[in-house]
Amino acid sequence: MGTMLSFQEVTKIYPGAEHVKAINELSFDLEDGEICTMVGPSGCGKSTAMKMTNRLIPMTSGKILIDGQNIDRLNTIELRRGIGYVIQNIGLFPNMTIGENIAIIPKMKGWDEGRIKERVDTLLDIVNLPPEEYIDRYPRELSGGQQQRIGVARGMAIDPPVMLMDEPFGAIDPINREHLQNEFLKIQSKLKKTIVFVTHDIDEAIKMGDKVCLLKEGKLVQFASPEKMLTEPANDFVRDFVGGDRTLKRLNLLTIRTATRPDPPVVLETEKSAIAGTIMTETGEKHLITVDSEGRLTGYIDHEALKKDGETIEQIKCETEAFLPDTSSLKDGLSEIFTHDLEFLIVVDDSKRVIGTLHTDDIKKILRG
Amino acid sequence: MTSNFFTALLRKFVPAIVAIVVVLWLYKYYGAMEYTLKNLAEFFRLIYEHLILVIISMAAAITVGVTLGVIMTRKGLEGISPVIMAVVNVWQSVPSLGVIALAYGILPLLGLSGIGIVPALIALFLHAVAPIVRNTFAGIESVSSDVIESATGMGMTKKQILFDIEIPNAMPVIMGGIRTSTAIIVGTAPLAFLIGGGGLGFWIFTGIALVDMGIMFAGAVPVALIAMLFDYFLALLEKVVVSKGIQADQYA
Repeated sequence: MGTMLSFQEVTKIYPGAEHVKAINELSFDLEDGEICTMVGPSGCGKSTAMKMTNRLIPMTSGKILIDGQNIDRLNTIELRRGIGYVIQNIGLFPNMTIGENIAIIPKMKGWDEGRIKERVDTLLDIVNLPPEEYIDRYPRELSGGQQQRIGVARGMAIDPPVMLMDEPFGAIDPINREHLQNEFLKIQSKLKKTIVFVTHDIDEAIKMGDKVCLLKEGKLVQFASPEKMLTEPANDFVRDFVGGDRTLKRLNLLTIRTATRPDPPVVLETEKSAIAGTIMTETGEKHLITVDSEGRLTGYIDHEALKKDGETIEQIKCETEAFLPDTSSLKDGLSEIFTHDLEFLIVVDDSKRVIGTLHTDDIKKILRG
Repeated sequence: MTSNFFTALLRKFVPAIVAIVVVLWLYKYYGAMEYTLKNLAEFFRLIYEHLILVIISMAAAITVGVTLGVIMTRKGLEGISPVIMAVVNVWQSVPSLGVIALAYGILPLLGLSGIGIVPALIALFLHAVAPIVRNTFAGIESVSSDVIESATGMGMTKKQILFDIEIPNAMPVIMGGIRTSTAIIVGTAPLAFLIGGGGLGFWIFTGIALVDMGIMFAGAVPVALIAMLFDYFLALLEKVVVSKGIQADQYA
């Protein structure tokens, strides 16, 4: 880990508009493997800032360092080939097949056929489009969402450490967009690219970013983690921009784990059913969570269940859907609690072992800070 | 799908077959066939001259036309495009006979001969270059700016963008221009005879002068067949040079 991308007092003044600084002494550092979402009102310079990174727009003054190297010292073509580039309208080459589109930069880099083929297959697998089905098709035969995935795959063709994405999901309908965002975050959690991600949508910025870079009229207003931007907006502009519902937005960022109450009232389902009643009277719990010998969730017991006949707890327990993994967002957790009118939600790990419970009180406490 | 295919086939071929049958009947009826068989050696020489006229002027028009079209789309050269366009348009707007006559009249002023195959080639080339220039320009201009931006951002050089992206994607439009130019050249080529350029125009004009339908048809029918042959050949070529990703769906 270390700084991968560094903007140092980067300024852009367009010829013919000398009195306006399109980008005004922008400075920030981005760690290796982080996504920085650039967001702001239109005309704030977010795209300009991004495009200076691969010199599609030359900067007027300042420095941009990639992995410690000043980009001004690099050959433009080499610089660009080393940076993945994905834009809103995708820009796939209509005259080339999907395979040829992805292979274009590896080919220019002089990779041999076998390596290119292998790489294209890997990338298509990563973006969930089976290579044998898609490799020989043409862009126009694909849906917008599929084209966008190819765009992302093409951007990653030579496994560049840094990627630039200009509203990559901007032209996609909301349902597919959310799907692509989640898919992309999943890919990113494995590949750990350093990404500059331009968007005009603050919700997307908060969801996708490890850091959010909020710009206004070419000036950096706040550069912070999404959590910090929501809890400690630097000024009124940030507060307005993130919106009045910023508290609710935080629910999206926080995982259930952060509010999980440990030591849940669990009982082994192989125990005698009488024991459940005893525990409930002693502890005052209205519900007991039943688990198998591995600690995995199997159901629950309430007062109604106790009335049933049965020797063991397994015979009288009720099935339940009221559980979520601890990696889900608090928003999903809260939504489950409200939708099913639950007293609490059972929190499990990946193998469905009960870790704890989620109560609305604890969520409130967390949001209050 | 199949029925569509057959209707399309019928629509495409029936009129052509009817036209060919009618023309061949006239060809025989007026004694053009007899005349041709009697003068077979001359027939082949005229065909040869005619093909030379068409092929060479075509090759020149494609080379120069595509080059000029590309130049007009290059950054920093936008200023000269109206000039290029004006010049090529003027030559196309002058009637065919006028172009031939102008070549005959102007070339001697430049110290060149106004008679023979060279002025004929120059006249044909100038007359036909405009559609190729125009379509190359329009075709390249119409390539989506997103495509160009991503190519640039990915690190393709200007030359790679031109040859791998711009020209291939403009190809359907460029080919359209080439087919139009070919039609113009094939249609104008018989006039080359008037300034000593040779070709099948010799029989056509002789036939007209002698009011001999046989001789005229002996020249006119091969001219028509050559036109059809070139168009057919270019249609085939289009299938080869235009990527499947951008070909218009036929019969779809």
